[in-house]
Amino acid sequence: MDEKYAIEIDHVSRVYKRDEFEVRALDDVTMRVPEGRFVAIMGPSGSGKTTMLNLIAGIDHATSGRVAVGGEEITSMKERDLAAWRARHIGLVFQFYNLIPVLTAFENVELPLLLTHLSKAERREHVETALKVVNLADRMDHYPRQLSGGQEQRVAIARAIVTDPTIVVPDEPTGDLDAKSAEEILNLLTQLNRQFHKTIVMVTHDPRAERYVETVYRLDKGVLAGIEPGKAATPAQAAGASA
Amino acid sequence: MKYAMLILKNLMRSKRRTFLTVFSIAVSLFIFSALVSLPTVANQVLADSASSVRIACHNKAGLTYFMPMAYQQRIAATPHVVAVVSESWFGGILHDINDQFPNLAVDPDQVDLMWPDWGISKQGFEDFKRLRTACLVGNGTMKRFHLHIGQQIQLKGTVYPFNVTLNIVGTMNDKAPPNFLLFRRDYLEEAAGRPGVVSNFWVRVDHSENVPLVIASLDEQFANSSAETRSESEAAFIGNFLQGFRTFFQIAEMLGVIVVLTIGLVAANTAAMSIRERRSEIAVMRSIGFRSGTILGLLLSESLVIGLAGGILGCGAAFLVLKAFSVGAPALGPLGSIRMPPGVLVETLIAAALIGLLSAWFPARSAARQNIVDALRLVA
Repeated sequence: MDEKYAIEIDHVSRVYKRDEFEVRALDDVTMRVPEGRFVAIMGPSGSGKTTMLNLIAGIDHATSGRVAVGGEEITSMKERDLAAWRARHIGLVFQFYNLIPVLTAFENVELPLLLTHLSKAERREHVETALKVVNLADRMDHYPRQLSGGQEQRVAIARAIVTDPTIVVPDEPTGDLDAKSAEEILNLLTQLNRQFHKTIVMVTHDPRAERYVETVYRLDKGVLAGIEPGKAATPAQAAGASA
Repeated sequence: MKYAMLILKNLMRSKRRTFLTVFSIAVSLFIFSALVSLPTVANQVLADSASSVRIACHNKAGLTYFMPMAYQQRIAATPHVVAVVSESWFGGILHDINDQFPNLAVDPDQVDLMWPDWGISKQGFEDFKRLRTACLVGNGTMKRFHLHIGQQIQLKGTVYPFNVTLNIVGTMNDKAPPNFLLFRRDYLEEAAGRPGVVSNFWVRVDHSENVPLVIASLDEQFANSSAETRSESEAAFIGNFLQGFRTFFQIAEMLGVIVVLTIGLVAANTAAMSIRERRSEIAVMRSIGFRSGTILGLLLSESLVIGLAGGILGCGAAFLVLKAFSVGAPALGPLGSIRMPPGVLVETLIAAALIGLLSAWFPARSAARQNIVDALRLVA
């Protein structure tokens, strides 16, 4: 049976210019992520993990190559169209949560919905549902400063899923958390993947993450060094990854 | 409307900074609107009297030079002239030297014909003609010195070496200068030993289109005499009187503009600081899907709200202060009637909006267009 791909990356390179130097962050990378998978992009610092995530999320442009997400090629999209595309398809989660400090948890989660045509009542319903999913329905009136790191990250995840995006892309979601909170976040992402069938592409260097994901894409010095099955992979997925 | 909450929350992010910015804009626009009101009011005084059928006929050498009283009959006999009232400057004070206001002695016979638009009651005119010590007082001076009709007052002479005792028989309102006091010239003439000279003749013409004709005729009649005349319409007469203030008005306007420009730069610095602090948040919003234009609109809206709040506060304060000033300072002649014209109100609010928009334009545009990845790195 043909497998549908949520993400297709073909011969993608990304070169940054830093003063007179050129930094090749990604070098001719080709990879595919099937729909509905929970995968991790792992590798040492400077391997190009976050650059790869930025390209998938449509907040950076490839120097060459092709990036398609949800069957839609985004490489040639203009910034204006790309912004609308991100609002529909991408749910970004950052290492440092990046909540707006002057907004409550409810208002932070509501933020992406302001870009939709939903009524105020509909927005409220969506936000409450998202906060229930991340188990923070009782903290919706709290400001970020009144929440713990783990709770802030859960609000950030609620913000990422509230628009029901095609792909959730967490960037080092456990990087700033203690072990217990990190486990909670990884369990929550697993739940989103299994219960709501969300494709999740997570960038991490946290070795614990391998236990939760189905596939691990290893990057090293800007090239794809290997694809391995994660500990959560089914035998079929494991076979596919190894192949 | 759905973004209103976002704008409000961001404005309240640093209450002290928002308050200080609003306050500084308010102070600058207070100064601006007050200063700009001065020449506008002067122009308004001229505009109000532009359609007048009154002519001022005074000595060609200047207002401080006299003319023979005998000119009155010749002026009255000039075609198209319907009334002539001679006028002499008395320059008295009520109590002390600070109590100055224009007080003039005029012929009583034709005051009703000359100034029917000055809001003087019929009884006031009648009493003025009947009683030798009668006087008519502008409502500004009445309020300033808490005077009332029927009250007896004494004006101390500063030009003439004697005082005059007067009885208030009426007030002047409508288009009358609010600070004037008129009393009878025959009383002054008698007290001064009948010198037979006057400062000015007010001449009323039958139609406004005949004003140039009468002006030419009057000046021609008295050409080559010992007291040649210079006649001019009431608008031109007031305009010349105000001419002395022109340089002051221009300096005032320039000062107002400089103050606004200065505060605009201060506001720009504040806006730049505020936006710079939020660059990573702006990047997050853009990564969520907010377009650059939407971000720019939100940032400019915040700044516009600050500018307009300052504008409304400054303008409102200036309006109230000028109103109080105009009631409390009638000694300033026509300038005593300074009020904020609607045009200045609109100008000030436009200036406020421009301060808001322009001060935030460059930092907001830069933040809205910044590279998302670079800005997100600021957090890491």
